[in-house]
Amino acid sequence: MPESIISQMSIIEIKNLTKSYRVYQKQEGMMASIRGLFRREYREVHAVRDISLNVEPGEFVAFLGPNGAGKTTTLKLLSGVINPDSGACQVMGYVPWERENEYRRRFALVMGQKNQLWWDLPAAESFRLNQHIYAVPVVDFNRTRDELCDMLDVTHLLGQPVRELSLGERMKMELIAALLHSPDVLFLDEPTIGLDVVAQHKIQQFLKAYQEDRKSTIVLTSHYMKDIQALCQRVIIIAQGAIYHDGSLDEIVDRFSGDKIVTLQIGGPDEAFEGLRALPNVIEVEPPRIKFRVGRDDVAKTLSDILSTHAVEDIVVEDPPLEEVIAKVFTDAQDAKSLGEFGTSAAEAR
Amino acid sequence: MLKAHDAKQIPQKSTGLPHEAGIAEQVMRKPSYLNVFLTFAKNSMIRDMSFRMNFILQCISSLSWAAMNYGLFKIIYQFSDSIGRRTGWGESEFFIFLGTIWIINSLIQTFFMANATEFSEMIRTGNLDFALLKPIDTQFLISFPRVNWAQLANAFLGLAVIIFYENELLHDPDKQMNFTIWSVPAFIFFVLCGTVVMYSVMITLAATSIWMGRNQNLHNFWFYITNFYRYPMEIYERGIGWALWGTFTFVIPILVVSNVPARVLAQPMGGHWGIWDWTLASISVVAAAGSLVASRWVFRMALKSYRSASS
Repeated sequence: MPESIISQMSIIEIKNLTKSYRVYQKQEGMMASIRGLFRREYREVHAVRDISLNVEPGEFVAFLGPNGAGKTTTLKLLSGVINPDSGACQVMGYVPWERENEYRRRFALVMGQKNQLWWDLPAAESFRLNQHIYAVPVVDFNRTRDELCDMLDVTHLLGQPVRELSLGERMKMELIAALLHSPDVLFLDEPTIGLDVVAQHKIQQFLKAYQEDRKSTIVLTSHYMKDIQALCQRVIIIAQGAIYHDGSLDEIVDRFSGDKIVTLQIGGPDEAFEGLRALPNVIEVEPPRIKFRVGRDDVAKTLSDILSTHAVEDIVVEDPPLEEVIAKVFTDAQDAKSLGEFGTSAAEAR
Repeated sequence: MLKAHDAKQIPQKSTGLPHEAGIAEQVMRKPSYLNVFLTFAKNSMIRDMSFRMNFILQCISSLSWAAMNYGLFKIIYQFSDSIGRRTGWGESEFFIFLGTIWIINSLIQTFFMANATEFSEMIRTGNLDFALLKPIDTQFLISFPRVNWAQLANAFLGLAVIIFYENELLHDPDKQMNFTIWSVPAFIFFVLCGTVVMYSVMITLAATSIWMGRNQNLHNFWFYITNFYRYPMEIYERGIGWALWGTFTFVIPILVVSNVPARVLAQPMGGHWGIWDWTLASISVVAAAGSLVASRWVFRMALKSYRSASS
């Protein structure tokens, strides 16, 4: 069976994973709160529904999706923090939610929204604590710590209490704390959230270098296209708790964007240029340049029409910006859901 | 189809990683619980020291609470020689009891109070996630991270009070004390039993936050329960008190765990241990072991229901 051979190789295997939450629905106002003491209405939130995927060793995969899509829940399931309702999952052969120590010694989870360092102490103390918890030999610990601090350029901050670090510096420390035991699998939940462009770039560079060096398997969630463009060969779009697309970034653009953006530079008299202003979907006119959007299939025809009537000096045809494409994908996914493609989302329960 | 692999075979499974040879060794490493605890203790100390004034004020406030407590009972003993007739709880005996209570309270407040509260808070905020990721016993990890060193002041005060009054008793010709080389280790052992019971009650209560979403009753509960366990059990032996006596001796044996260590040193009924003393001592040991096992069970059940919080 070729299927089982493939699954033998995968470092992460997820099969029909499903997780729902029951959320207390509180109505606004005092009376409603009092009613809520006696009779509560709950809503079923399907955070993850029937997700199946495999990740191979050494892959750098991105989970992409709007807020509340189920990315973080998936990472929490993978790290064994919560139990699923149904489905199976193995990471390096372990079932995450059994929380075996052997498994927990071999992966790490970093959450950009949360802090796991001791707030009032220098990061070095938290590192030391992790050394003892993960039982890392002193020599290995010192070497790894120095290497990582060097790569992220934070050696001089080791003695400073974490609460006095900037967000970017703290995030770097969080990463180091998570990597001290040299995990084989790394889960990153929005590691660059709230960081400035420079810090974001630094962390991207670090992750890229680290992954190339260690060949570790990394699953990342992020809202920043830049992160994903810079790091991940494979992008899994999750929307409404289900996988909407799985492939490379280029494939996403091909699949979800029907348009191209064309920029022309026109030579000759200004009158000739005027005719072009009437084109549909003009984005920007800045004589002698004009930028407009055109359907993928119409590019050739539109261009040959213009070329036959105008003196065109330069042509650029490009894909629309990735952010725009992704926004469209998210909206499409939302629409698909409301059409019932994903099944119903809310069920009343008591 | 996925099938359950035997986890033990995994280290040999090829993952294509460069440091493959190291995996088996990495997987087998066991953390030293002592080292982890010492790091917790050290980190807490560094933290306390960096907020110096806070530390000093905490010491002063808990010491003055103890001093007032002492003063109150000193006043009461101006009106009476003993609690009840023929109970044996004279002034010296009672202050040994009080010192014992201070030590147990102080141990709980030093090592567990802040942690149990924090655990409750971790559940609400979802920070328990991080504790669950670590390759170490989760109950251990959430029970010990913060050591509130300032609260230890009362334990020393309790010790001083005990030494002073034990000395009084030993030099009192009317008393027949039976103080041997075993008295001190026995006292320490039963104090620890008491601490374990109180810890278990506390951590069990904190774990219920997983089902309740929020549990801010810990401090209240601690106040209520310590109100009952900080007196010699004989004071309940009258009228409606018997109900409390029964409940806190056999159901939730908090009276036993405070009374047994105190009786080892105070010996209100003389130095000879009767069948009742042995019964109480046995209840104390069984309660410590039983409550610890029960707390672990509740803790595990609670973790199964943990649902984390929003990202």
